Amino acid sequence: MSWVAKTRINTPAVSGPRDKPGPAAVAGSSGNVRVSNGLKEFLWLISDSEQGRILDLGPVWQATVSFFIEKGFRVSTEDLLRAWKEFLASEEEDFRRAPVGNETPKVSPTMFADKFLDNALLYPAEHFHGVLAWDIFDYLDAQLLPKVMDRVYSMLRPGGAVLSLFHSRTPERFCRYRIADMQTFELLPASTVSVHARVFQNREILDIFGKFRSSKTFVGRDQVREGLFLK
Amino acid sequence: MTTISSGLKISGEISGTSDLYIDGETQGKIRLTNARVTVGPNGRVQADIEAREIIIEGSVQGNLKAGERVQLGAQSKLQGSVLTPRFAIEDGARLRGKVEMVRTGASQASSNTESAADAAKAKVMSASGKDE
Repeated sequence: MSWVAKTRINTPAVSGPRDKPGPAAVAGSSGNVRVSNGLKEFLWLISDSEQGRILDLGPVWQATVSFFIEKGFRVSTEDLLRAWKEFLASEEEDFRRAPVGNETPKVSPTMFADKFLDNALLYPAEHFHGVLAWDIFDYLDAQLLPKVMDRVYSMLRPGGAVLSLFHSRTPERFCRYRIADMQTFELLPASTVSVHARVFQNREILDIFGKFRSSKTFVGRDQVREGLFLK
Repeated sequence: MTTISSGLKISGEISGTSDLYIDGETQGKIRLTNARVTVGPNGRVQADIEAREIIIEGSVQGNLKAGERVQLGAQSKLQGSVLTPRFAIEDGARLRGKVEMVRTGASQASSNTESAADAAKAKVMSASGKDE
């Protein structure tokens, strides 16, 4: 699948009644619903895949799973932020339970990141056609982020796409995301799983996706930047 | 219906025709192709489950294969793949694994389905490597 070679003349396989561009097609948000050009492009890019595989890095939602299943995709989910939080809590508990006087091994954020990834995001290389990363990169620790990026890149097929969101300021609320239709997703306020770590500048976004061969960004009226990255 | 109550721990293979309710701990393999398996809120299962209908309210580590449907409750936690014609997920359910839908009855015959657990075991290869 080639970003540039693919034209819009062909009807996308994942077309639906609401995929016609209209006045609302400009990326923006209203309440808890966000009209997303990034999502629309993402679906268009993966539409060629027969029995394609999608990885959702957020929590599992019936709406998202049904959306892709109905289009013939296989869906995997792995709530990375929650898994990371639980991993850290577990490590802290182990540390607390360690007998006093025992020589505790030296720990570092990089070691934690490596240990976490020993049991997370374990998929074969070039397994997925698309990855829904939502805004998790805004929340990952600095040591974990590049390792996750490497893993995501590895498990994505050539031509596969990553959809990601970047906040231009610290978000007021922690939200999770689920797909509503071809160009809309819902923001679902949730209890904070992870603290917003940073606001990425454009150059930084391009840097962390440096291995990817192509990128495209869409800025909504709410100044949330949607990024679409192609391997 | 057979019940494995809270506080009970069973290891091994379970098969038969009776519906099964698990609120205790179970390890091994569960194969009740014409029955319903329910994992209650206290249930902790480390097993592949094959049944007509599978309802999860507790915690399961294993692959699910259902002839009719799988349902994940709001407090459920599943690590493994799901192969079923119909799949219901309540908000709050947690899934780490893959979902694949099949036509009714087809899940019984499916043999080429990779599991998330298999995928999890697979070593992450380099970007230039191939898995298939």
